[in-house]
Amino acid sequence: MSGSEGPSALEWLEPRGKPAAVAVAAGPPRNRMAVAILSLVGAFLAFYLLAANMGWTPPLPCGTGDCATVQSSEYARVGPVPVSGIGLAGYVALLALALAGLQDRLSRSRLIPFLLFGGALFGVLFSGYLTYLEAAVIKAWCRYCVASAIVITIVFAATLPELKRIRGGGGGP
Amino acid sequence: MKNFYIMILAVAVIGGGVLYFAIRGGTPALEPVELGELENAELVELAQPAYVFGDPDAPMTIMEFADYQCNACMRFAVMVKPEMDAAYISTGRAKLVFHDFPLVNLHPHAFLAARAARCAGDQDRYPGYHDLIFGTQNEWSPMPGATDYFKDLAEQLALDTGTFNDCLDSDRHAEVVTANMMLGQAFRVDATPTLFVHPGTPPVFRLGGARFLDIQEALESGGPEN
Repeated sequence: MSGSEGPSALEWLEPRGKPAAVAVAAGPPRNRMAVAILSLVGAFLAFYLLAANMGWTPPLPCGTGDCATVQSSEYARVGPVPVSGIGLAGYVALLALALAGLQDRLSRSRLIPFLLFGGALFGVLFSGYLTYLEAAVIKAWCRYCVASAIVITIVFAATLPELKRIRGGGGGP
Repeated sequence: MKNFYIMILAVAVIGGGVLYFAIRGGTPALEPVELGELENAELVELAQPAYVFGDPDAPMTIMEFADYQCNACMRFAVMVKPEMDAAYISTGRAKLVFHDFPLVNLHPHAFLAARAARCAGDQDRYPGYHDLIFGTQNEWSPMPGATDYFKDLAEQLALDTGTFNDCLDSDRHAEVVTANMMLGQAFRVDATPTLFVHPGTPPVFRLGGARFLDIQEALESGGPEN
């Protein structure tokens, strides 16, 4: 492995591209602001679903609506871990990354665009799989799960400018 | 950037408030209901409850319509019922009348589970089987067929497995479980668990997805004589 062409491990965290003064003049990346706000909304949705799954809320009776059907299905957990817990962890990670990416020191790091785009891509694929399960296997729709699927899809769209930053184009504000 | 931080703070405050209300403040108010006299005496006679937990002569009554494959019923049985037992049932203040209401369109094993529990009841082991079947719900619920699992549970309880298996393999108790479902429908039950709490004096309260505090509030609303 030569390592001569790609960036070294440290370089992934180093600012790159345009000089800092230009970046500051252009302002912080607006797409990351959108990712942060939407991830916070998604985290609240995921926390509510987690609370319902863990019994911290009054239980949703069976038969009252499709959310109870989805929550009581075998697909509501991956092993011992509630799916909503995975969603919450994902949203919190995206929120933290987006906030970190808004700081001057890290705004032009190459690692953050990579993690933001990769995390959102994983989230939208996972959410797509869960939506497929609701539609085709469980045959029931939980409105909070659908809301979360919409949120993560918009988050993913908001991370598309990160592709430009990964390639070294800066991405713009 | 300042506007962004204001916006994210606003989302945090609003979201946190909504979440707090949903988790802590979302308990529905007690709903008094008029059960009246059922006209279909034959149905009332046929729809015998699966079991009466506690003293049948206890002054207060909690009537439960439940589905063994329902996650909320399992949580009620595991988390709420023990508190109810300690405070009201074992003390002779209230009885829990347990009716089957399998949601057959949602839960393919619920009807069989209700019959299996009654088969255990034939050998005077209904409460033990009730606890075991709810306690293992996560294991048998996703199975394509649960008959063998229910037979294994009977073995775990040291029931006479020959008698139990014959009962489960027949259509024994199917008629009474169906009558329980019809009784629930007559009381406009459409979800499980549904509780009708009779504090000894009218009114009767209907609770769905109840917590212990809700049941306590309904029971204690009957006056100091309870």
